[in-house]
Amino acid sequence: MPLVKVPQPTFVQKLKRFFMMDLVRGLGLTLKYNVGAAFDKDSVAGKGIYTEQYPKERPDVAPRFHGAPRLNMDPETHETLCIACNLCALACPEDCIDVLAMDVEVVVAGKPRRKKVLDEFIFDTSRCMFCALCQEACPTSCLELTQDFELATYSRAGFVWNREMLEQGRETVKYTK
Amino acid sequence: MNACPLFLAPLNFIDSLLVKLGLAPETINYVVWPLIQIGVVVTVVAVWVAYGTYLERKISAFMQARLGPMRVGPWGLLQPIADGLKLLTKEDFIPEKADRWIFFFAPYIAVAAAFIVFSVIPFGPDWAVITDVNIGLLLVISVSSVGVLALILAGWSSNSKYSLLGGLRSSAQMVSYEVSMGLALIGGLMFARTLSLSGIVTGQASDSIWYVLYQPAGFLIFLISGIAENNRAPFDLPEAESELVAGFHTEYSGFRWSLFFMAEYAAMVVVSAIATTLYLGGWYFPFVYKLEAAGLHNAYVIVSALVFLIKLSVVLYLYFWLRWTLPRFRYDQLMDIGWKWLIPAALINIVFTAFSVFVVQALDAGQVLKTIEDTSHGLNLTGAGKIVMIVMGIVGLLLTGGLLSLVNWRSRDFNLKSQRRNIRLVSVPSGVSAVNSTKPATAPNEV
Repeated sequence: MPLVKVPQPTFVQKLKRFFMMDLVRGLGLTLKYNVGAAFDKDSVAGKGIYTEQYPKERPDVAPRFHGAPRLNMDPETHETLCIACNLCALACPEDCIDVLAMDVEVVVAGKPRRKKVLDEFIFDTSRCMFCALCQEACPTSCLELTQDFELATYSRAGFVWNREMLEQGRETVKYTK
Repeated sequence: MNACPLFLAPLNFIDSLLVKLGLAPETINYVVWPLIQIGVVVTVVAVWVAYGTYLERKISAFMQARLGPMRVGPWGLLQPIADGLKLLTKEDFIPEKADRWIFFFAPYIAVAAAFIVFSVIPFGPDWAVITDVNIGLLLVISVSSVGVLALILAGWSSNSKYSLLGGLRSSAQMVSYEVSMGLALIGGLMFARTLSLSGIVTGQASDSIWYVLYQPAGFLIFLISGIAENNRAPFDLPEAESELVAGFHTEYSGFRWSLFFMAEYAAMVVVSAIATTLYLGGWYFPFVYKLEAAGLHNAYVIVSALVFLIKLSVVLYLYFWLRWTLPRFRYDQLMDIGWKWLIPAALINIVFTAFSVFVVQALDAGQVLKTIEDTSHGLNLTGAGKIVMIVMGIVGLLLTGGLLSLVNWRSRDFNLKSQRRNIRLVSVPSGVSAVNSTKPATAPNEV
């Protein structure tokens, strides 16, 4: 008598085995997937085909996704919203932002005054961890992390974005379906 | 033939053109037309091989909720052409230690064995079959089994352990499955009473039935053996990627590799065509005869060929379907299925079919039931006779399955199950009872 009890199949299980129900169920499943995919119908859980043809088809990133940085401009005057307050650079845990300001002479109410304006903005995306603390620190909603995720370049230097790149955005090849 | 539209009568046009060129009627009938037929069949099969790969990739993708090839051409339709160009421009590499000549010729044997068979397959009536020899089925079986030789030679001549193992497996597998495949056909032949493939189709047409209804067991055995014979998953042990790299064609590359691929897909078509011809009524379809009666002879042939192709593609879909559903068998399971299930089942099927033919004839002769109409084209049964035969077929299938599962129920107990069931627990103190026995069990191998 065996020391370890091995469960014996019941009659129904034997019957299922005889008619190869597992095989039939497997075949039914693959057929269901196939038909669902061929007509792109709700066969599995929502859609027939899960493939996303990436360069031709843009993926839907999550709403809270943080991607490439951008410096926003005033939509009417097309002047930068940045007031060179340096808060983003202070907020950055990785120290990847450099704000270079310069003083300009302006006349306010008939008197000559000196005003601090933005000269150059350096953003090192290779060190950035996309925490968006800079975006939260910005008092004028100028610096923003967009949903754009194509940040690869051919050199290390290419990861360092200057003011122009931050304002205009980088040019990438757009594919169509 | 004047009544039919021009596009349905192009062949008579070619005929009259050839006569005008001054060729003798014998030359036209026995040289020119066969060459045209061979050209058409080879082209169609080559196109099928190319697009079979495309279909396979698409269907497998669909079964896994993917898209498959999409980038070359619309819906990836030019992918086979890109693949073909890639294979042709690849280096034709021959290993240093390989047996060069055998290595060189093995793929050609595989392709030739697969393509020769197409000469007897009836794609349709009249001119849609290249040649109708009266031993057609025998020729198919014998020639297609030469394909094994190619795999063995390829595996041996590559001089690589993986190739050799693949060749070894393929020889064992194909030899054992060929037996059940040949035996499974005999049941169907008892009704057709001819080996000519066109004769088998006419036998079914004149009886207006598919032999799969008389022979469900034979059809299943033939299909399983056919899939195993083609080395397709779940029986693809000779090329098992996960174990043997690529099996017998590990060392092959480029054009020679693509020849093996071509042979595999052509052999798939051959087996499906035999299954269609013998079990699914071939090119016969109930209402196509009306076209012939209306005088549209060529249209009749073309529609019949289309019917054949549709049936063929259903069987081919089954190949893809099974491949992407079932995992590969273990080697001992493969041999089990071949020797313990399929060959006995085929033998039982032969006996049982003979018995049911006898029963039908006895019912007719004993004036119990009018079952036989005539025996001019195979065995033509009346409606009652057909029902008797179909019931006998299903009973035979269940009987065979039940009998074999009774016989094979404990056939593995010699090795695995007894070892599993007599596990000796380590460090059981003497005197303490084990799980549910008072005295410690002794394993049989200790006695």
